[in-house]
Amino acid sequence: MSAPAAAAVRTGAALREVLETARASWTDSATAGGMVALAAALAPFALGGLIATDTLASGAYLALAATGLGLCVGLAGVPSLAQGAFVGTGAFVAAHVLRHTQMPGELCAVIGAVGAAGLGTAAGFAVRSLDAVRVAVGTWLLSWLVALALGALPWLSGGAQGLVVPTRRLFGFSPTPLVHYELAVILTGLCALALVALRRGPFGLDLAAAAQHRGAAAALGVPMERLRVGAFAASAFVGGLAGGFAVQLDIVADPTAYGPLLSFELLVAVLVGGAAAALGPSAGVVVLGLIALVARAFGGLAGVSGSRFQPMLEALLLLAVLTTGGNAFVPAAIAAARRRFPERRIRPRPSAAPLRTRRELLRAHELAERFGHVRAVDGVSLELTPGSITALVGPNGSGKTTVLRLLAGALPPDHGHITLASHELTAATPAERVRHGVVRTLQTHAYFAELTVLEHALVGIDRTRRHGGAVRALVSTPLFRAESRLAEAQAFAALEAVGLAADAARPASELTGTGRQRLMIAAALATNPAVLLLDEPSAGAAAEDLERLTAILDRLRAEGLAVLLVEHNLRLVRAVADEVLELELGRVVRRERLPRL
Amino acid sequence: MRVSAAVLVAALTVVATGCGHSSSPKQQTILVVVDAPFSRSPYIGNTIANGARLAADQLTARGLSVGGAPSKVRILKLDNALSPSRAVADMRRALRDHAAAVLTDGTGVDATWHLADKEHVPICIAYQGGTELVNPETRPNVFRIAPTDHGLAFRLAEYLVPKRLKIALLTDDSDYGQAGRAALGDAFRTVSKAVAARIALPSSASDLAPQVLEARRSGATALLVWARPAVLAKTIAAARSAGWGVPVYTTPAGEDPVVRQQLADHSSWLDGLTFASGRMTAELGPAPWSAFQAGYEAAFGATQVGVKSQGRRVIAPPDYGMYSYDFVNLLAAAVQRVDGTDPATVLSALNQVSTRGANGDERGFNERNHEGVVDDDVYFARFADMVFKPVEDDPLSSTLPAIDQVR
Repeated sequence: MSAPAAAAVRTGAALREVLETARASWTDSATAGGMVALAAALAPFALGGLIATDTLASGAYLALAATGLGLCVGLAGVPSLAQGAFVGTGAFVAAHVLRHTQMPGELCAVIGAVGAAGLGTAAGFAVRSLDAVRVAVGTWLLSWLVALALGALPWLSGGAQGLVVPTRRLFGFSPTPLVHYELAVILTGLCALALVALRRGPFGLDLAAAAQHRGAAAALGVPMERLRVGAFAASAFVGGLAGGFAVQLDIVADPTAYGPLLSFELLVAVLVGGAAAALGPSAGVVVLGLIALVARAFGGLAGVSGSRFQPMLEALLLLAVLTTGGNAFVPAAIAAARRRFPERRIRPRPSAAPLRTRRELLRAHELAERFGHVRAVDGVSLELTPGSITALVGPNGSGKTTVLRLLAGALPPDHGHITLASHELTAATPAERVRHGVVRTLQTHAYFAELTVLEHALVGIDRTRRHGGAVRALVSTPLFRAESRLAEAQAFAALEAVGLAADAARPASELTGTGRQRLMIAAALATNPAVLLLDEPSAGAAAEDLERLTAILDRLRAEGLAVLLVEHNLRLVRAVADEVLELELGRVVRRERLPRL
Repeated sequence: MRVSAAVLVAALTVVATGCGHSSSPKQQTILVVVDAPFSRSPYIGNTIANGARLAADQLTARGLSVGGAPSKVRILKLDNALSPSRAVADMRRALRDHAAAVLTDGTGVDATWHLADKEHVPICIAYQGGTELVNPETRPNVFRIAPTDHGLAFRLAEYLVPKRLKIALLTDDSDYGQAGRAALGDAFRTVSKAVAARIALPSSASDLAPQVLEARRSGATALLVWARPAVLAKTIAAARSAGWGVPVYTTPAGEDPVVRQQLADHSSWLDGLTFASGRMTAELGPAPWSAFQAGYEAAFGATQVGVKSQGRRVIAPPDYGMYSYDFVNLLAAAVQRVDGTDPATVLSALNQVSTRGANGDERGFNERNHEGVVDDDVYFARFADMVFKPVEDDPLSSTLPAIDQVR
């Protein structure tokens, strides 16, 4: 068979597989989404002259920008107030390219989007480690900066008249408002699908985990800051794309149109419609459109412009949504529909793969850590050998957790070094240590409340994936799909090891405290570890929980793992430990090997 | 049964349609869209819209006839909020509604003229004075009835330079101020010795004392301020509160009610403020203007400034309403000249007709000139006790009568 023929056969097989996968995973929600998309595409014909097509097209581009913001708010849980600035950046970059080159309109829009993504990357980098409030304030300032820059630099913005842009054909069509509308609907639909694909993939799961518990995510090696920068960049790209096309609809890049108010409105649309739902931001934009009509009516009654009432009504609606528990329209509608019409398709459970672990020796030599004048850890040396459990005991404040944090990379040691097999880990970040096979769990309360049990394990698996990147997830490559099937099987293996496989579909918040602790052990196991660092796994455990925990730890030893157990419960220590190190004032005061039956 | 009902309904419809039909020609509506910043600058927006509505009501009342059919002029107000993209959306709506013309303050004309030109719809600018906005060769459908920046700047230079003043040119950082900076740069290029300093005023600053002090230190003996009304008021306050009685000259921003409202507690600070604007009266005398003003106030009430002069309330003359009023009358004249509403022929006729304007002047355009206010129509007025009157030391102003501004 010739090379082109072989390639054609492979392509055909891959397409068949894609279709089969789509058919297997098709749900009622997907059907509903498809119907909404079809209705949106037909809206200009159905609404007749009721709403002008250029108004619909502007709204559709706004929906695209809001869906892009959904990447940041819905996936990463980051309340960005800079989306208006990204839309404006895309618009002005595209406008300048359109004015100074003969490039096709669609290419100019993409260049605008790339410009916005550049700004988004810089913004994401600046706020990557800030909490939500500071992110909101920081991005709000960015919105102001962009608006002020456009106001102060007429050569950039075109001054009061804006930058008039030449009209070009779009994908071979005359750029009428109808063509713009359909294009915006298609792009919004694609962006919503991307949102769904990313949410189900490693990128979305990791972001969700990081948004729900930063400490637990960091312990599992989730590269939170990098993901956040990526979410900002992707969000800005979509916003910039909306701006780059919208400016061709408006035929003018308007410096007054991309101020902080636009950013606020986009955030309101996302929060009101539902950040977690793919069509939530679009629904939010429709709600904003209705608010504009109400504001116009108010304005008519008061004898002033409706635009004076619009932001006030939007803010009131946002307050109403937030104060009534944050149940946005689309998620509430989906929940109501699920109650009335339960999802008919139940995903088949994959068969579990063998549990993957590594056998490597961890050595820590003369570790020391000071907090001011206090020597928290003072010359601690230890070896964690494969197939053994080492318990670290001692009174409160003796330095147990600090040793654990030094080994996990959460704290850099003042002195000493750490190696795993031949790898020097002393300066490695927590994420790097997880990749090498050193992973820790936190205490009971550290888990991801909005993820299911299976998703917890998948967050751990993500550290071991080679083909799970955001771009691969977006286009769902054959490698990505194959690896995803394997990842799910391995996640089940990790859950089976801790006795939670039957609870895979349950929300983690429904588990008991010890159940959550076992869940986090499963997530750690899913990272394919060599060394497991467990912080008080028996906290709050009843007698039967202790027995179950003992059995789990025995199994981990049997699998060849090296386990360090920080524990107050001496009964558990005696039941499972091969060696006990007693710490006092940061020093090892006693080492004891326990005989195992 | 259902079929019989349907037949009955159809028959009734046919009968009703027949009854409604009349041999008299149907009334035509000539739609004029006023696209102005009603939400951002209501004084400007409402003045333009009211002037247009007054003309429309008078024309309709007089009995406008087009193609043998009775016609009326309807005004549709759209708010552009000073946003070019909103102006584009408004223009699209105007074109969908088959507007005969669009009156605008000037926002977004760079983007909208082309859309309107495709449909041969004329645009008239009734406020902004940017030189590049109007060009009969490249923008055949754009007209203006308002003083131009060029006219204001050159008349100011012509008026001030012979006084041998050392002038500090103060412009704010708004688009209005930036346009003024460019216009003043051209006007004072050949007489740069008269310029003591060129200073930018930050619009957002609460105190302009540093900028005024800089002007004082430059040796300036006069301030020429081209800025938004609120910034102008702050500049005057900064100078006067420092005890500097320097003469202040400005643009039509000086007559904006905002300036007097902000200086209401120190009315003496406003005394002597001189501004350039389009004249409201002609050599014929104040009668035409008075008639217009009376009609305007009867229809919409006088625009209260919010201050008093010698115990009486001060009102703002609707001078920018005069421009939109004149344009609607010109449009009606063009429609009547071609006896139809075909946009291309009406547009062409706008270059040929003229009318008597609200101030008694002849208003009209031609193929080579789309400016309804020539540079010589710019006059100077000076404030005293919250009201203004034409200056005595300018030949084109001294012959003009003062307009009554108290009620």
